[in-house]
Amino acid sequence: MTLAGMTHHDQNAEPGVASRAAARARGRTRVRAVTISAAAASLIGAGAVAAILPGAATGTHAASTSHATSGPSSSGPSSSSGSAASSSGLSSPASAPTSGSGSGGQVTSGGS
Amino acid sequence: MHAITSGTALWYASRATGVVSLVLMSAVMIIGILINRQGRLPGLPRFAVLGLHRNLSLLAVAFVAVHVLSAVADSFVSIDLAAAVIPFVSAYEPLWVGLGAVSLDIMAAVIVTSLLRRHLGRRVWRAVHWLAYASWPVAVAHSIGSSPDLRHAGPLLDLTLTCIAAVIIAIAWRLARAGVVPRPRRAPELMAGPRLAPGGRADEPRAGGPQMNLVPEARR
Repeated sequence: MTLAGMTHHDQNAEPGVASRAAARARGRTRVRAVTISAAAASLIGAGAVAAILPGAATGTHAASTSHATSGPSSSGPSSSSGSAASSSGLSSPASAPTSGSGSGGQVTSGGS
Repeated sequence: MHAITSGTALWYASRATGVVSLVLMSAVMIIGILINRQGRLPGLPRFAVLGLHRNLSLLAVAFVAVHVLSAVADSFVSIDLAAAVIPFVSAYEPLWVGLGAVSLDIMAAVIVTSLLRRHLGRRVWRAVHWLAYASWPVAVAHSIGSSPDLRHAGPLLDLTLTCIAAVIIAIAWRLARAGVVPRPRRAPELMAGPRLAPGGRADEPRAGGPQMNLVPEARR
């Protein structure tokens, strides 16, 4: 290969390397964006799941109802204040945490 | 009545992060299945798919860590730290919590071997990484068994069934393509392993197995 040929080859290779580097940079940017989006969606999803878990969505309404009908309510959840009908479509109030007074070992459900 | 209060925040955090962890692990599992045998995702080059796989794996690990720690710290459920990592010794739901511990241990093994991959042989790393396939179904069993919400019809059960269906579809797609796509001739460009195996033989093309690589890019 002549010197002229090598120069010509290098001139052709330079744009290829640059374009590959640019594509690589674009790929990294996309990965970073997708990762950040996934992290944000996961955090939002965790909050949403916590909100729709049995009992969580009815907490405010339930607390006010309990206060109106049975006087002062405890700060923690209690299973003795009536029905726990959920308005979110989840019908498993037994899976929400319940604790009797004094016995911290009462467990109805664990972590998923 | 139940509400998210300071006393129940850990319980809800544990449940919520557990659900998100299952979704993330399913996504990692699906990507791991798809990127094998030159699989790609739309709009992403192969090395970017590998990076996404790694990043989502780390994200899933973070959520699993919060899930475990909040379950241990929660006073409603009596799970000590040892029961979270040693299978089947928990006083509460020993089987289902034990399955969660098994899944956690497998995940930890995958992470540790990935971080030490330069010091381990490729075969050892791959053998441990095959366990990643076992981690997901064990985690699903742990989720269904330990959560009453997943035993009744509802959005959480629908979400779990969607994850299971997605993984099954990915496996079916992979198996269907197994006989169509030829094996790659060279290792993917961004995998951290050396080109020569310790015995001096060149790396063999991957025939299968998960491709989780948790080694930070800066160290490669």
